[in-house]
Amino acid sequence: MSAPSPLVSGVLLGAASAFAALAVVVLYRVLRGPTMQDRVIAVNVIGSNTVVILALVAAALGEPMYLDVALVYALLNFLMSIAISKFTVERGGVI
Amino acid sequence: MSPIPIPIDGGAVLTPLQAGMTLTPLQAAILAFVLGCALVAAVLRDVLGVIIASAAYSLGIAVLWVILRAPDVALTEAAVGAGVTTLLFLLTIAKTVRPSDERRLELPSPRTAVVVLAFVAVLAATVPAMPAIGSPDAPVVDSRVTEYYLENAYEQTEVKNVVTAVLAAYRGFDTLGEAVVVFAAGVAVLLVLKREVFV
Repeated sequence: MSAPSPLVSGVLLGAASAFAALAVVVLYRVLRGPTMQDRVIAVNVIGSNTVVILALVAAALGEPMYLDVALVYALLNFLMSIAISKFTVERGGVI
Repeated sequence: MSPIPIPIDGGAVLTPLQAGMTLTPLQAAILAFVLGCALVAAVLRDVLGVIIASAAYSLGIAVLWVILRAPDVALTEAAVGAGVTTLLFLLTIAKTVRPSDERRLELPSPRTAVVVLAFVAVLAATVPAMPAIGSPDAPVVDSRVTEYYLENAYEQTEVKNVVTAVLAAYRGFDTLGEAVVVFAAGVAVLLVLKREVFV
């Protein structure tokens, strides 16, 4: 996978910037809550956003290896959400 | 011996953070996100909320590592910052108490703010003095220490990788200390989990 043309990579990086801006907006939900479930969902959305940003950056820079980071992120995001959700339901049950 | 040229991804362009101090929109957005996460973590009252905010912080900072072309650091940040640390913090507050009152936000104490501001001042004073990332003018490239290792490492240690030679031979005691730290951390995690083996 070679680096795409400047136009394509510019569009990809622009889309990644839009997703990053979206993550900043979702951060308001982490701050505001009001319930812990809202925060868990918000951080899950942020994690999915991160995976998309990583994939877009990998495509824009022509570095397929960065997709591995995105994969690890997807797995960890799932693990994190499950752990926090389980913690809020049965206190102390994390793993 | 001439200075060693540093290969930068097959002649790829430097990111703006390396070339100068101008930011692309993507870097600016991610930096804003990371800063926002840190502030949220600082002012939230509920520790579970703080854990969630710091996990989001980790996710953001690792994207920054990827953009700066350090995917290995990004992987470590993801595994440790977002994964292991979150779990350990959750286990910790499961075994201790969470302050539960009606206030949602709590500003950090003035003393904490002073310490943080002093640290920021130190960073602002020292970081701009560092050479640019990958700069051929960096002192480490043509310093005598680097040349000594490159010339003598194989003869003295018979390790083909110079970095490994420095880590395992020249700085062996330092590496031993690090291994002790990692071992102690592992034992502490097992104690918290009340288990005898991992997995």
